[in-house]
Order: sequence, then structure tokens, then C-alpha cells
Amino acid sequence: MKKKTRSLLITEIVMIIIAVIWFIPIYYLIMTTLKSPQEATNHPLALPSSLGVENYVNAWKNMQFPRAFANTFIITASAVLLVVILGSMAGYALARTKTKYSMAIFLLFLAGLTVPFQMNIVSLYRIVKNLHLMNTLFAVILVDVAINTPQSIFLFKEFVESTVPKELEEAASIDGCSVIKRFFMIVFPLLKSVISTVVILITLNVWNEFMTPLLFLQSRENDVILQEVTRNIGQFSTDWTALFPMLMLGVAPLMIFYVFMQKYIIAGVAAGGVKG
Amino acid sequence: MTKKKKLRAGELGKYFFLFIIPALAIYLIFSITPFLYTIYFSFTDYTDMNPVNLHFVGLKNYIKVFDTPLMMTAIKNSVIYAILLTGFQVVLGLPLAVVLNKKLKTKNLLRAVFFFPAVFSSLIIGYLWNFIMSSSDFGLINNLLHQMGLGTVNFFTSGRALYSVIFTQIWQWTGWGMVIFLANLQSISEDLYEAADIDGATGLQKFWRVTLPLMCPSVKIIVVTGLIGGMKVFDIIYSMTSGGPGNATQTVMMVMMKKGISDGFYSQGAAFGVIFFVIVLAISATMTWFMGKWSDAIQ
Repeated sequence: MKKKTRSLLITEIVMIIIAVIWFIPIYYLIMTTLKSPQEATNHPLALPSSLGVENYVNAWKNMQFPRAFANTFIITASAVLLVVILGSMAGYALARTKTKYSMAIFLLFLAGLTVPFQMNIVSLYRIVKNLHLMNTLFAVILVDVAINTPQSIFLFKEFVESTVPKELEEAASIDGCSVIKRFFMIVFPLLKSVISTVVILITLNVWNEFMTPLLFLQSRENDVILQEVTRNIGQFSTDWTALFPMLMLGVAPLMIFYVFMQKYIIAGVAAGGVKG
Repeated sequence: MTKKKKLRAGELGKYFFLFIIPALAIYLIFSITPFLYTIYFSFTDYTDMNPVNLHFVGLKNYIKVFDTPLMMTAIKNSVIYAILLTGFQVVLGLPLAVVLNKKLKTKNLLRAVFFFPAVFSSLIIGYLWNFIMSSSDFGLINNLLHQMGLGTVNFFTSGRALYSVIFTQIWQWTGWGMVIFLANLQSISEDLYEAADIDGATGLQKFWRVTLPLMCPSVKIIVVTGLIGGMKVFDIIYSMTSGGPGNATQTVMMVMMKKGISDGFYSQGAAFGVIFFVIVLAISATMTWFMGKWSDAIQ
């Protein structure tokens, strides 16, 4: 038994060393944001000698961070909300109705899991233009919803089939609940765990999505955080450490989200992966 | 109210359409229609110079794709990228999951650290690694090599650049694989390991004979989603190399963005998209078949 605890201890130490090495790039990112180019070149991995936030102030201004953050947030929040509401309604309907049509519709959605939307950028570009949605957040939201709907419908359908008892709805239908009320009052609250999985997966997808904003948002006042990073990155060559606060501001929102929600995010990814 | 047929529990009746139409409408307009249009455009002479009067041109656009070395390079690079990234995600992620499934005191912290990079946008990860791998004075890796008295390594030669990019993505996505594998591992019953212990199996034997066969579902997920995702690679290339040096790291999506959107060769972009789709379909069909064989073989 003692031998076993010792080997476990050695494993633990080895894993901690690997994890520290794994973490170096992120540590380097954070530390460099506070250094001058000279300091960062001479002592790349040391702690910064001062806590000057000037670099951050400049990055904040150059990226127009509050506006870019607001755009990214509006896109992500709207897309997540739409995917959860529309996806759960569709998933529920497909779980409860088994006809020829419903099976065909489900297969149509499933096909979306294998067809990469990227193959269609040429025609998407034209459709968005013809609908007069070019250069609107709305275009990005709708396309991101279409991209992410198939997976969420699949997860919702599976969940309703395996865990939501029909008997509960029985009681509700005797009370004369309408179908829509029945869904939102009785079924929807029971979907909590799969909703959290969907929210986490779609938040990561949409927040980090670069191609749809790049295609559909041309003017600066509509652009998202990632576009601001690419816009600014070419402008500094000598003062290269000034770029790091921009990279940091680019990842900070999700970093904070991860630090506080880490347990749920990892659980969400695991649940989405195993079933999807 | 009295005339309506009463719906039993769980039944939706005609309300089925009310529930399905909002999601279906968005999906039809922004996924199915573009797909059909892509196929249609790929057989026409649609360009930015000729946006209205489209003519049928047969397979001309497809032949053009196969005759363009840049497009062939892009397909080759995307395939190499997808296979290597997915392979390493399994080869590194699976043992990592097995180790972090042991009763280590810091296992939750360790899992959080390995998963951390997967939360970030690949675009920003690309810019960060550009600095880390740079051959200028400030490049972190070369800086450390100099301090050890070694010479400069150029990570972005035409021979190495693609593999440097893949390396950063292995760093970013191994943790994602680990999380999926861990979920699968936790569903394996302890009894099986106890039975193996009684039979006197060693740790390695237990891994090959008990763990690996039962990991089939999660390996399948990582392999199929990893290969499809890998074929779509764009953000990391955009920020790390922009396809260079020369065209050494061009990928399908980089070329499609340039040819199909910026340069206005819409019909060629569409044909390239259809070819891309066929490759992805072939990969997922092959892998599903292959993984099916594997799970049959062990049962």
C-alpha cells in the first residue's frame, strides 16, 4: 500500500511540473503586458519591475474596447438566447412527435453537423447582401444561430427523450394548460442541466467566432473584439509590448468567465462532447 | 374549445409546427439555402464582374480548381493539419486523462490548467505564439536558447511553418480532448479494474485490455470532430503566418476567403467549397466506418 502512495506522489509531482510548463505561454502573456520592450527582452519570464497600467490604458483606447466589447456581447448574448429558446422548442417537438415529417426534419438538422458552413461563404455573402443585412450585427447573430442550432437541437431532443417524463405533462394537460404554456412552465425548467451545457458551448463558439464578423461587419463601429485586435496589431513594430495588453483584453472576458465558471465549463464541454 | 381534439400528454398535434418553424426557418435561410446556392454557383460563370447574367459552364470551375497549384497545396496542408492535430489530441490527451483520473490531490487544478488554452480564441493564441516563436531578439524561445548559449532557430521557414502552427494547436486543444476522455473514463465501472487486479494484470495491461477498448466512444468523437474541425482551420493561420512564407501554410479556408470573397472569383470559390465538402464527407464516412470496425472487433 505504501508503495502505491509513493508512486502516486511521484505522478503528482511530475504532472505539476508538466502543468507549469504548459502554463508558461499564458504566464508570459500576462507578465509581458506590464513590461517595456527592453525589460521584456532582457528578462522575459521575470516578474515585471513595476505595475505600470499605461499600456492597458492605451490598448483600451486604441481598441475602442467598450464599444467592441458591447458588440461582441450583444452578438453572443442574442445568439445564445435564440439558440436556447428556439433549439429547446424544436428539440422538444422532435422528441415528442414521431411522424414521417418530423423524422425528415430531424435528419435535415443532423446533416448540419457534417456540412461545414465555411464551404458556403460565397453564397452566404450574397444572401446576406440581398437581405440588406450586410454590416449589421443581426447578420452575424442569425448566421451564428444557424451554425449552432443543429448541435443544440440534438442535445435537447436526447435530453427530453431520456429524462423528461410524459406523466408530468399529463397533469398539466388535465389542468387545461395550453401547449406553449405547458412547455415553458413545466418542461423548460426541467431542462436546466442541458441548457447550461448548450449555453457554455455556444458562448465559447460565438464569442471566439472570427469568420462571420470578418465576412459581415465591415465598418469599424460594428466590429468585434477580435477584429479590433487584428486592426491594431500591424501598427506597432518597435513598441511591441504595447500589443500584449490588446491580446490580454482580447482574451480577458472569457478568461474571467473561465476562472469563475471553470467547473461548469469543463462539465459542459464533457456533456456536449459525449452526447454530440 | 369544445370542438378541438384534446391533446394527450406529450402530444403536440398541429402545434408541432409552431415549435419547429422558428428554428427551421433560420436554418433553412442561413444553412440550407446557401448550401444549394453554392452547388448552383459552382456550375456558373458568377464573378464580381458578372453578378447577374449567370451562364451554365459545366465542370469548368472544378477543372480550374484542380489546375490551380495554390488550391491543391491548400487542400494538402489542411489534410496534414487535421490528421496531425487530431492524432496528437488522442495520443497526448488520452494518457493525460488516464493520469488525471487517478486520486491526485491537485487533480482539479491540473485539469483546469490543461484545459485553459481551449477557452481562448485561436486568433489571439496565434498572435501570442508569433511572439513566442519569433526569431527576433524578443522571441521567447530563441531568447531562452541564446541564454543557454545556443543558436537561433527559425520556426517559420517554408518547411517548418506548418508544423510550428500545428504545435501551437496541439498545445491549445489537448486539454479539450482530455476533458472528453475523462468523461468517458468516469463511466467505466471500477469492478472491471478489480477483476483485472484479481487476475494479476499490470497497470499497462489494464490500460490496453480494459481502458482502451471502452474508450471507443470518446475516441470516435475526438477523431471525427477533430478531423472535420481541422479541415476548416482558418483563424490560427490568419494570425500566425497569413498563409506564408510563400504559400507554405495556405489552407482551404484561407484560399477560399481570398479567391472566393476578396478577389471576386465567386464561382471558383463555390466549386472549391463543394470539393471541400466532398473531402469532409469522405473523411467522416471513412472514420465512422473505421471506428465501427474497431468497436465490432473488441466486442
